[in-house]
Amino acid sequence: MAEPRKGQLEGETELVPAVGYRRYHIDTAPTPDLADLPHRFLVEVDRVELLKLLVKETWEYWGDWDVVAARPCVYGVFSGPIGGFAPRPEHCVGCLRCTIQHPEAVTIRHNPEWKAWGDAYLAPKLVETILSEAAIGAVPVKGQGYRGRFGGPGWDRIWTDMSEIVRPTRDGIHGRESISTVVDIGSRPMHLATDGDGERPRCLQLQLPILFDSPPKAAQSVEMARLLAHAAEELETLAFLPLPLVREAGAASPAVVPQLRASELEALAPAPRMVEILDDAPAALSLTDSIVCERLPFEPGWREALLASIAAGVRVFHLVADYHGRGDGRFVRDLALEAHLLLVEKGLRDMVTLIGSGGIAAAEHVPKAIICGFDAVALDTPLLAALQAQPEGSVTDAATARFRLPPSLTIEWGVQRLKNLSAAWRDQLLEILGAMGLREVRRLRGELGRAMFQRDLEREAFGGIDGYR
Amino acid sequence: MAIASPSPQLVEKVTHYLHQGFHDRSHALLEAPPALGDPRWTDELIMATWFQAEHGRPPEGIEHRIGRSGGGFDRLDFKLLSEADWLAHSEDIGTAIPLNRRDPARRTLEIALPIYGGGMSYGSVSEEVMVSRAIAAQEWGTLTCTGEGGYPDGLKPYADSVITQVATGLFGVREETIQRAPMVEFKYAQGAKPGLGGHLLGDKSTTTVADMRESVPWVSLFSPFPFHSVYSVEDHRKHIDWAMTMNPGALISVKVSTPVDVDMVAVGSYYAGAHVFHMDGSYGGTGAAPEIAKKNIAMPIELAIPRVHRHLEQEGIRDEITLIASGGVRTAWDVAKAIALGADGCVLGTSELVAMGCTRCSNCERGRGCPFGLTTTDPELKEWVHPDWGAMRVGNLYASFQWQLRDILRKLGLKAVAELRGRRDLLRYIPEEFDA
Repeated sequence: MAEPRKGQLEGETELVPAVGYRRYHIDTAPTPDLADLPHRFLVEVDRVELLKLLVKETWEYWGDWDVVAARPCVYGVFSGPIGGFAPRPEHCVGCLRCTIQHPEAVTIRHNPEWKAWGDAYLAPKLVETILSEAAIGAVPVKGQGYRGRFGGPGWDRIWTDMSEIVRPTRDGIHGRESISTVVDIGSRPMHLATDGDGERPRCLQLQLPILFDSPPKAAQSVEMARLLAHAAEELETLAFLPLPLVREAGAASPAVVPQLRASELEALAPAPRMVEILDDAPAALSLTDSIVCERLPFEPGWREALLASIAAGVRVFHLVADYHGRGDGRFVRDLALEAHLLLVEKGLRDMVTLIGSGGIAAAEHVPKAIICGFDAVALDTPLLAALQAQPEGSVTDAATARFRLPPSLTIEWGVQRLKNLSAAWRDQLLEILGAMGLREVRRLRGELGRAMFQRDLEREAFGGIDGYR
Repeated sequence: MAIASPSPQLVEKVTHYLHQGFHDRSHALLEAPPALGDPRWTDELIMATWFQAEHGRPPEGIEHRIGRSGGGFDRLDFKLLSEADWLAHSEDIGTAIPLNRRDPARRTLEIALPIYGGGMSYGSVSEEVMVSRAIAAQEWGTLTCTGEGGYPDGLKPYADSVITQVATGLFGVREETIQRAPMVEFKYAQGAKPGLGGHLLGDKSTTTVADMRESVPWVSLFSPFPFHSVYSVEDHRKHIDWAMTMNPGALISVKVSTPVDVDMVAVGSYYAGAHVFHMDGSYGGTGAAPEIAKKNIAMPIELAIPRVHRHLEQEGIRDEITLIASGGVRTAWDVAKAIALGADGCVLGTSELVAMGCTRCSNCERGRGCPFGLTTTDPELKEWVHPDWGAMRVGNLYASFQWQLRDILRKLGLKAVAELRGRRDLLRYIPEEFDA
């Protein structure tokens, strides 16, 4: 028996920790790439010039072998058995010291194969970042400042806000473990009805505002279904998968949301926690006890369809743009905003859950999408990028996209890669929330005051300057 | 395995090659390295900076004014007068600015250029780099800043030109370092990682760095954010009072990032007693920061300056506080544009490192640090930058910036840089359409 603590009264029972509390945590583990990817840089060595250089230096520094042998690379490009005569470009980070020191002997170029990786939207830099995140599960940290364009297009037209002084999460990275990334997926009536006929709240709580969308047709397989289902289960999130694939793979689990038509519901037993209806979601409401999610592509007429389905009782929507974030002639940022503001205007926003897909290709897109109005996002192409699936040509939509997966891919490897990716993205979401001083991601949804739009800021800063329109 | 200091022969060999390389590339004796540059710092801007660092003048035939980022400073230009109306190029065109505009009891602290060096901590850069910048600052009658990693002894001879930074980690902050400073800078935030504290990864937290920071070697150091003792303007005032009491001669600068309410923060800092309000925009440099923070949190400096300038004017306090801008200020033209947008002056960081050989490869945070000897305390690599050479390069860059500022001013018909402040009417915007 434990010693009584100081001041403990006779008969007073010792306080015990609350039972049932568990801090959410994603176990990351180094999971190296399966296949060799194109190196970012090409290292071209002129061997004749290198030989001449060596002879010259040997003559000049005869006896000072440390000087002769000193190589102009601290990353090991020239540290192989025969040095610069067989450079190792996989080690090159593009510092350019070698080519500054010895321009006659070494040239460093961007590798065109690396530049061809990905497609017009999922650009090589994004793919490289995703691969790194999937391999190590950590937030990418680099030196030097931002290197890209000033602003737009796409999500780059938004900057998130931060709080200079007053904030609830005051401990920098050490306080972020107390920030919640839990989201509710389901119906949240605006008031409770006690007469028995009213709508009752019915939600799934996910630990992440990041779900997995179904892979494009060309990448659908039993192994892929099992991999996504298993990863979603371990992450305590959800994976959307076509019903036939779920059955074929035996992948049914609380983490799997079967995608099906309303007419297929009757044959679905046992009822999963949530289903995604591809056609008539209102009709599905009376056919299942599952939470009904309507998959609603951003196509002409989506606004009317959204309002009609809400009126009919659907409370969860999966709004889908194409893989480049386009839909109904606009970018998903504007579409999310419009959907959110439409529901705010109608007084419906807090009743429903909006899950968004399409054009979410980097960690920073998640908070921006949530600020614009989505409650959560469902990832598509980043999952494949994490699994080292190489796109073949432009990958715009699920029907036509083609990917080449590494032949040696295993479910265990893939699950860990997706866990690593999710951990890295969640940690980056925490960075953003921490900088803002927000304690939970639910408070970020539609919080437009936490976003700064390029157009607004430029109008304020440059309005009145000749030439600015 | 411990890495030994390099032999003098090796230092001579490496520095000879590097200096020759910077010269040949910036003088078009060799073409630009194919992999050099990015939209913000193009290959031409980097090589133009190397040229200025060698000659003290801008190069001809190479773009030294703007990058290709497609926005901000890169879309602004000046409406220069027709040549007949230009003033003569003269050293009488004033480039000095006072930092103290409100407190007759303290020094005015006029700096000869509307620029000074930003904080780079010991650990993120070497002592040699810090001393290089300090020597240049002293020679040019301006300032440089310790950053948050402490005050190496090598800076003491230049103490009158060195700002002591007090950041949230309080690394190496001591009474004597506050007392010897002409200005004390409270760093609330940094543009490259707004809302996050400083990052020094374990590889670079060497024994000497850890000693300076009173920390444990080889352990990553993440500063808290923000100050645990500041919840309000009143708390902020206590900080400032504390430093002012400890050093009755010092000015106080407050360095913040650029959130949406940066204008209100500026007013709060004024009422807390700050002499200088230093805004660090989101595209600023860093020795290490999460990639997500560099692009996505807080606004670029170009967009923050007019907002703060206007708000301080509306509050009637604009002429009582010095507004300093940083975070993505690369060239003399950027400095002039920032001033025309409403700043009094600018802080430089990356430009000074580029002058000393930085290629912007973004590998400052890892392993032994910078292969050019800048962002490192590695016993071998740091030797590639000798303080005399570094000071000459930074000093030449200052010379070139001053020459260009005077050139811009005379072509606008202005006789002093102070006349340029807030003159948005002298700017024009070059529109660019981009996709949705």
